[in-house]
Amino acid sequence: MNFLATSIESLGAKVTGWFTVGYAMLAFLVKAGLLLLDRTTWNRATFDVVVKQVYFTAVQILHVFLGYALVISWLIITIILSTARDFGLTAFASEMTIRVLVLELLPFLTALFVALRSGSAINTEVALMQVNNELEALAHCKVPPMQFEFLPRLIGGVVSVVMLAALAGLLALLMGYLSIYGTSAAGFEPYTRTIAKIFDFTIMAGLLVKCALFGLAVTLIPVTAGLETPKKLYMVPVSVLRGMMRVFFAIVTIEVVSLALKYV
Amino acid sequence: MALMAAVAALPDDVARVALDLPLRANLSALENIALIPLYQRHYSAAESARQAQAMLDQLGHADIALLRDPDMTPAQRFVTQLARALILKRPRLIIDRPGVMLYDVPYPAFIGQLAAQADMTGTWEIFDFNWNQVLYNQALHSE
Repeated sequence: MNFLATSIESLGAKVTGWFTVGYAMLAFLVKAGLLLLDRTTWNRATFDVVVKQVYFTAVQILHVFLGYALVISWLIITIILSTARDFGLTAFASEMTIRVLVLELLPFLTALFVALRSGSAINTEVALMQVNNELEALAHCKVPPMQFEFLPRLIGGVVSVVMLAALAGLLALLMGYLSIYGTSAAGFEPYTRTIAKIFDFTIMAGLLVKCALFGLAVTLIPVTAGLETPKKLYMVPVSVLRGMMRVFFAIVTIEVVSLALKYV
Repeated sequence: MALMAAVAALPDDVARVALDLPLRANLSALENIALIPLYQRHYSAAESARQAQAMLDQLGHADIALLRDPDMTPAQRFVTQLARALILKRPRLIIDRPGVMLYDVPYPAFIGQLAAQADMTGTWEIFDFNWNQVLYNQALHSE
């Protein structure tokens, strides 16, 4: 009986915790959204921090990221092409390549890449700011932490993931063409027709929304996890651990929902 | 405890220099100070940096502009916090328990020197434990 009561209590505490975390994230997102609509937010200082964030999140890692996208794309295209040949489905190889790589795998891997590199850094930095009282110091100086610290990170994350996924997608399309048709221009017409057939308005809008949600997940969750950190230095690793687990679950959930909406 | 409660209850027109109001660790001294004109008065980044540098020059510590918090000595950190408080241009400035921030210099004399260099309008007040009164007396007698 005692065991049952303890289990129910523990489950209740967990569910309440999830709701509290979810509510905090939603409240933060609404606050950020309202600030985005406020004209005073859009000053030169905020814009400069956004540009800096995009630079650190996307531009600084561009060469490594493109190299990684190139290798992954080449490997997946080679696997798809050889499998398609084995099963006599060569006609569908280009469509399959585009669907698997450009629509699903590359945006997902981009989100993971940015989450591991920038999301963890954001989580650690915000947690340290929280523990060291830096946010209170900014508030004392009437420098709004939301405009100066958080909003630029959210915008930077969304812009970076969308742009990196787009670049990786374009690279994969080019790799796909070269792998299927080589350097001959003969395949240009059927290949572009396949691309046009796949990328209708709904698919494009869905891809854009998915990448934007990925970008939001890899920045919003680390920021809110950092803000939840109790003012104890030894809690910073715990905060990062929790934040990154939530980011992982959020990315997987977005991908699963996107797949279900498209194919189920 | 009474001292801390009194400091926490201070009104908004007071600028504080205190251990519990640290610098942004990943910004340089100059950037920490320049945040105020940049965000409060909407000056350009260049003009904000110029004002911040002028404040450091005035306090006689122009050379610490590019240092970040972890690379500063306690005195340099205190000067940056003081410059950030001064650039707020609030009528009162409170230095809260300077002994905990300035443990590497004889602090009453050090603050006296900074006050003489800063040549600011408004009042500077020091909140300190009464058992440190003797240090201020020594600084006053040595002048």
